[in-house]
Amino acid sequence: MLLPCPWCGPRNASEFRYVGEQTVRPDPATADPAEWRSYLYMESNPAGWVAENWLHRAGCRRYFAAERHTVTNQVRATRPPDAEAAPAQHADAAAAGRAGEHVREGRP
Amino acid sequence: MGERAPREAALVARSPIAPAPPATVEQGWEISARRSVARLRLTDATPLAKVLVRAAADGPVARGLEIRFGRAARDADGVLVVGSGPGEWLLLAPPGTAPEIARRVTARADGEFASTFDVTHGRALMRLSGAPASDALAKVCAIDLSDGVTPDGAAVRTSVAKLVTDLVRDDRGGEPSYLLHCERSSGQYLFDALLDAGDEFGVDVDGFVFPGV
Ligand SMILES: [Zn+2]
Repeated sequence: MLLPCPWCGPRNASEFRYVGEQTVRPDPATADPAEWRSYLYMESNPAGWVAENWLHRAGCRRYFAAERHTVTNQVRATRPPDAEAAPAQHADAAAAGRAGEHVREGRP
Repeated sequence: MGERAPREAALVARSPIAPAPPATVEQGWEISARRSVARLRLTDATPLAKVLVRAAADGPVARGLEIRFGRAARDADGVLVVGSGPGEWLLLAPPGTAPEIARRVTARADGEFASTFDVTHGRALMRLSGAPASDALAKVCAIDLSDGVTPDGAAVRTSVAKLVTDLVRDDRGGEPSYLLHCERSSGQYLFDALLDAGDEFGVDVDGFVFPGV
């Protein structure tokens, strides 16, 4: 499986660490233990498209968001976390379509 | 109790990679004096000054270095500037010049918050050179090393023999040549892994030659 890092382009999935599904952190002032447990440990894990976070551990060491299909492992979009601007430096890698080309190789 | 032996006049820096015999000491570094003309050669280049720079990807420091993430080139002073990450650079220069190199970078900071680290003794560096270098490296690295994707002057941080490694293509004499930079504690492992991968191509150890950049 190849994952398209928004900075580095498509890389072997073994270079990444799976961080988890994108969720909203509960408000510490009002959250009860059940909400914390759900936030920390529960995943919805649908058979379909899921928005999740990955860390390019063996590469640029940046976190990024990806939309991945859990059945086909196709990745249709990746982007840096909201706080960071789009990586203009490696826009060429993404624009060249290499990412889209490679992700279709994913197999369930 | 006998008299204490006199202290050695000068301290000797050692690479984490055991030098192939014959070993010698030059400019304060223990290096291998072995010379090879094999088709594929592996050199321990750890004595090179290594300076890590962290700064904004588009600030004064970045503009002064003039190298974007994913590329490597020599500046006017002959320092090899590697764009090793977003907002991260690795500077490779002749042995012993790290403090001066770091000073030159911070002088350009112009008030920007930037960090420089002398990682010379904390990292290992080696160079794999020769016509079959790409084929040998392809055995332990998943990156497409073809000229179209990884041309001369390309820099990637990736997994080499399962190890996080800065890989820089820096061709020499018209032949493919790669610099591999990793943590010091993994240096001997990576060196041995590359010798193992290069075995079928007749790899041989070639000693370090100053200034080495
Ligand atoms: Zn990356």
